[in-house]
Amino acid sequence: MTGSQISHVAMEIGIVLLSNGAETYRVDESMHRICMAMGACDTDIFVLPSNIILGITIGNGKHITRTRRIHARGIDLKKVEFINNLSRRVCYEDLSYSEILTEIHTINSSPPYPYYLQVLAFAFVAQMFSLFFGGTFQDSSIGFIIGFGIKLQMDFMARLEGNIFFINIVGGLIAATVALAASRLGLTSHVDAIIIGSIMTLVPGLSITNSIRDIIAGDYLSGIMKGVEALLIGAGIATGVAIPLSLLSPIWGV
Amino acid sequence: MAYFAPCLYAFGGSLAFAMVFNISKNKLLLSAIGGFIGQLTYLLFQFIISNDVALSLLATMAISLYAEMMARVTKSPTTVYLAVALIPLVPGGGVYYTMLDFIHNDIDLGITTGLHTLGISAALAMGIILISSSINLIRKVMLNRKRRKKESAIPCKE
Repeated sequence: MTGSQISHVAMEIGIVLLSNGAETYRVDESMHRICMAMGACDTDIFVLPSNIILGITIGNGKHITRTRRIHARGIDLKKVEFINNLSRRVCYEDLSYSEILTEIHTINSSPPYPYYLQVLAFAFVAQMFSLFFGGTFQDSSIGFIIGFGIKLQMDFMARLEGNIFFINIVGGLIAATVALAASRLGLTSHVDAIIIGSIMTLVPGLSITNSIRDIIAGDYLSGIMKGVEALLIGAGIATGVAIPLSLLSPIWGV
Repeated sequence: MAYFAPCLYAFGGSLAFAMVFNISKNKLLLSAIGGFIGQLTYLLFQFIISNDVALSLLATMAISLYAEMMARVTKSPTTVYLAVALIPLVPGGGVYYTMLDFIHNDIDLGITTGLHTLGISAALAMGIILISSSINLIRKVMLNRKRRKKESAIPCKE
């Protein structure tokens, strides 16, 4: 395999991993091993949550550098898992350049769960956590409706490329407004449980986990970036919830 | 039985979150069990320990241990199990009550609740760090031992 092919394959794998929620060290290590397995003499990889810089040295002392910028990051742990398996195979089996590229393409275009299931799962999260924080079944049903609404709102705003801080402010706003309205209509007496339960859907669980794991692995810069992202999301949710609570509560008297 | 109901809710919540994170079908249940284990640990140790920062630490350690084990068994990234199971322990309630205190203009109470929430978050981080670092260490020690055995085995044969 030529140097440019090696760097291309490694970069494609790194991009899919990074843009679907893998830890920084996983991207780094996978790319390094793939390059070495395919015949590079030396590699230098620098990974940040927003871009990858890959430099490889091949047999005749030639040096190739590639860099890619990542604009959209999502969460799709299935892709991370499959790419992880693929990179293991690349290291141990003798796959050709075109075979690897087809595999990457198949994994990258594998469909997520159907949309209605995603929405239902989101609503179910809100329902379960409303129960978890001490709501009754009736409270949790209101949580279910809020979860449903938040998912639709988030996808709508993500399609318009709204920033993550604003998306979460609006999410918190919806949660608190609907919960207060339900309380005003006399449907519930556990506003707290409903609001906490529904904002649990917005909690950046993966950012928190990956931020900690990056810091353990010594990638402090990535860890800080993801930690700041998690903090911003948390602040956004709190701001969003605070607006109706401080404006509507005095008017509605709930 | 009602005392352990939160475990089931945590399980349900984690299961749904696993779908939100798009974890493959055959690992949905396995990753949701992590949420169940975390909450179970939390509730069981509640009989002995009353400090909920320490309880969060223990629960995270249990989850982390489970996640690391399952990752080795099923040969998949640890995050698949860890991120999902951690969510029921994230102090969403703490953040909410902190904000509520600030809205009610009770700054002192808000700072107290906020610091407590921060403590719980730190406990989550520490739990993950402790377990995954020790597992890494153990793995390295075992790898080294294996390598040394191999090296010592070769001269013996000759």
